[in-house]
Amino acid sequence: MSAGLDAAPRTALRARAVPPPRAGRVKRRVRPPRGLKTFEFAMMAPALTVLFVLSWVPFVVLVAMSFAKVRTLGGVSLTFTGADNWSAVLGDGSIWASWARSLVYFVAIVGLEMALGLAVALVLHQLVRARSVVLSVVLLPMFLAPVLVGLLGRFMLDSTIGLYAKILQAVGLGDDLLASPSTALPTIVSIDVWQWTPLVALILLAGLTAVPPSTLEAATVDGAGYFRTLVAIILPQMKPIILVALLVRSMDAIRYFDIVVATTNGGPADATKIIPIKLYEFAFRFNNQLGKAAVLGLTMLVFSIVMARIFLRFFGDRPSVPAGDGGDRG
Amino acid sequence: MEPRTDAFSRRQLLAGGASLAALIALQACSTGDETETPKGSAGGGDPWKQFSGTAINFISENTSPSAAIAANLAPFEQLTGIKVKVQQMELDKVVEKCKLDFSSGTAQNHVIYADPYQILAPMADGLADLRPLIDSGNYPAVEKGLGDFIDTQLQATGSFIDDKKIFALPYDAPTMILHYRKDLFAKYGPRAKADLGFDPTPSDSMTWQQYLAVAKWFNENARGDVAYGIGAQAKQHDALQCDFSNVLWSFGGDYFEKGQSLGLRGSEEPGAVTVGSAAGVAAATFYRDLLKVAHPSSTTWDWTGLADAFVAGEIAMCPNWHEFAAGEEKAFPGNVGYALLPKGPARRAHIFGGTGIGINANAKGDELGAAWLFVNWATSPQTQLMSLGSKVGGGTPTRTSVYEMPEVKAEEGKSPSKFPNIRTAETVLKAWQPENIGLRPKVSQWVELDTIIFTELSKMLTRGADPAATMAAMQQQMQKAMQ
Repeated sequence: MSAGLDAAPRTALRARAVPPPRAGRVKRRVRPPRGLKTFEFAMMAPALTVLFVLSWVPFVVLVAMSFAKVRTLGGVSLTFTGADNWSAVLGDGSIWASWARSLVYFVAIVGLEMALGLAVALVLHQLVRARSVVLSVVLLPMFLAPVLVGLLGRFMLDSTIGLYAKILQAVGLGDDLLASPSTALPTIVSIDVWQWTPLVALILLAGLTAVPPSTLEAATVDGAGYFRTLVAIILPQMKPIILVALLVRSMDAIRYFDIVVATTNGGPADATKIIPIKLYEFAFRFNNQLGKAAVLGLTMLVFSIVMARIFLRFFGDRPSVPAGDGGDRG
Repeated sequence: MEPRTDAFSRRQLLAGGASLAALIALQACSTGDETETPKGSAGGGDPWKQFSGTAINFISENTSPSAAIAANLAPFEQLTGIKVKVQQMELDKVVEKCKLDFSSGTAQNHVIYADPYQILAPMADGLADLRPLIDSGNYPAVEKGLGDFIDTQLQATGSFIDDKKIFALPYDAPTMILHYRKDLFAKYGPRAKADLGFDPTPSDSMTWQQYLAVAKWFNENARGDVAYGIGAQAKQHDALQCDFSNVLWSFGGDYFEKGQSLGLRGSEEPGAVTVGSAAGVAAATFYRDLLKVAHPSSTTWDWTGLADAFVAGEIAMCPNWHEFAAGEEKAFPGNVGYALLPKGPARRAHIFGGTGIGINANAKGDELGAAWLFVNWATSPQTQLMSLGSKVGGGTPTRTSVYEMPEVKAEEGKSPSKFPNIRTAETVLKAWQPENIGLRPKVSQWVELDTIIFTELSKMLTRGADPAATMAAMQQQMQKAMQ
């Protein structure tokens, strides 16, 4: 590899290796947060209060519910039951099985959408003519409501009236894809991938267009081929945007609900009953089991945070702090 | 300066506070027990017009009777001046919305499609007792009285444990019967009879074993006209539990020790779970065998999917709710027959899926009064007659007087008929006989039990689980849920 290609990553590494001056941090800890007394903070206070009420109050209530038996009819009442809900949920084999399925979903959906999204973005990026027309067509699925996509999938695959089902029957694949536990899960993953790959492609396309042409030209001059340029230049520079796409899709994948409900309702044989469906059952179908739903909600939150931390660790480029910028900001 | 003296001593203040709290509690108790009977001020003395100008919401499962009501609201609005917005959706969503509505203490939806198993039993506290409204002189009387409703339906759809209270009036009465293609049986019947040694055409004497044999025969000999002999509603859904229950009961099994007696008024003490009995296992084994010869997409169909498949000509016969008759008549005019479900070793059983309409207990004042007028009108004989002939499907009456109307009697068995659903009347009236009807246990935990039942059955059908192990797992989970 030429020196020209190595220069940028090395500079970034050096910048990361230089620790920010600690004096500034110490000052910020010792001094009272001047920002809290400013006019700007006063202007932000109403919005921050709303944000606090909308996020922390439900969180605290959710935690309280997870330690209580919750009754809603005839007025909401919480009866403290200790860790009963936690032990019931954590000791329930069907919930662990559901988590395992959710993990498979998660990996399949996020992996496929990222890979296909990148492929689509690269193709779109190469298009000079008609890019906007092709982009509009490619993006169409993501404008549909997920529940509509689920219903569309259900009808297209219906063995009685479905177009896809008829095509599959014509080529000798007559089995109903949603009827068997072994095919229901991949089918639903495919439906989700069909809908949300365009979003990933759109995000990554924005990242591709942000790669400086001069860097690409330099790579070409140095004799790097397409794949070498992609792996060594383009993808490293796209790490922040890849992180955005990963976070957006992974948060969605954890909450995945609409398409499953519209197609299989968790069946057959629980093959598509992922954690959000379990949560829905506890919260809205079964009697007085909101406590267990709260436990599931909290475990989903923990899972989301863990996944976000992992992605940040691998893709999060910490901004380099120029020397001398660690001074008094506070 | 004079030392300040309090107007009330601390003791007086505490006593006063306690009295106020007691008064509020008493008030809450008194309003919670008895439904109010508000009198409207509009209409100049006309009891139907007294709530004129009020707007109410009716939430319902997307059923034929509700489609008919929604399409024919004009007479009610002319009669009362009340505006009604009808929302129709899948039953799961109705349950979810009702739960939220009842819990919030508000009445976004005033009139409720109160499924006896999924809404009435688990959420009876959220529904108003209609008895004070029925007995009040403030409103038009219930036409022909409560005695005009088919008695088992009034109990099954309207009451829960306390027989003095009525939470809903019977609104629809879907019941599972056997639907079959008469044209196919006319064409293949003689050959099938020669091969099988009995008349294959569904009749009151058919057994489940014969039904299975006919299904296999059609699979092997009639593929040119129909893909499969039978279909089932075996999706992991409430429909699977309904379909299986017919077989379970006919084999002598039941979900609880107290059996069918739990289906009318319900109970909080249904006795031991008995689904894992020898009869239960025999029923599950037979049901698995049945599904092996059924249309392979059966495990993706609920009752609507099955009805669509029947109308599309994919199957020759199936058990389904009788209210799908109108759609079938459109697809195969005069060529669909109806019969009682096959007999099992113990009896024959037809699951009753009837539902009443009730009122959200949070509804107050004019909205409560208007909601009651709507419930009264929607369950009246004239409205049921209108619903029967609706262009959008329509239901079947829950009033005995409607079945006796000359214009209704004249349409029985006719094709084409202006009341297509009444073509099933002869069969469903037999299915509603006490010895033939199948009633699910009305217990407040039913939704959870239902989920356990259809999930375990789905595992048996699609993963090949052993029937005995399936019923044992079902029994164990149901016992846990009842604790």
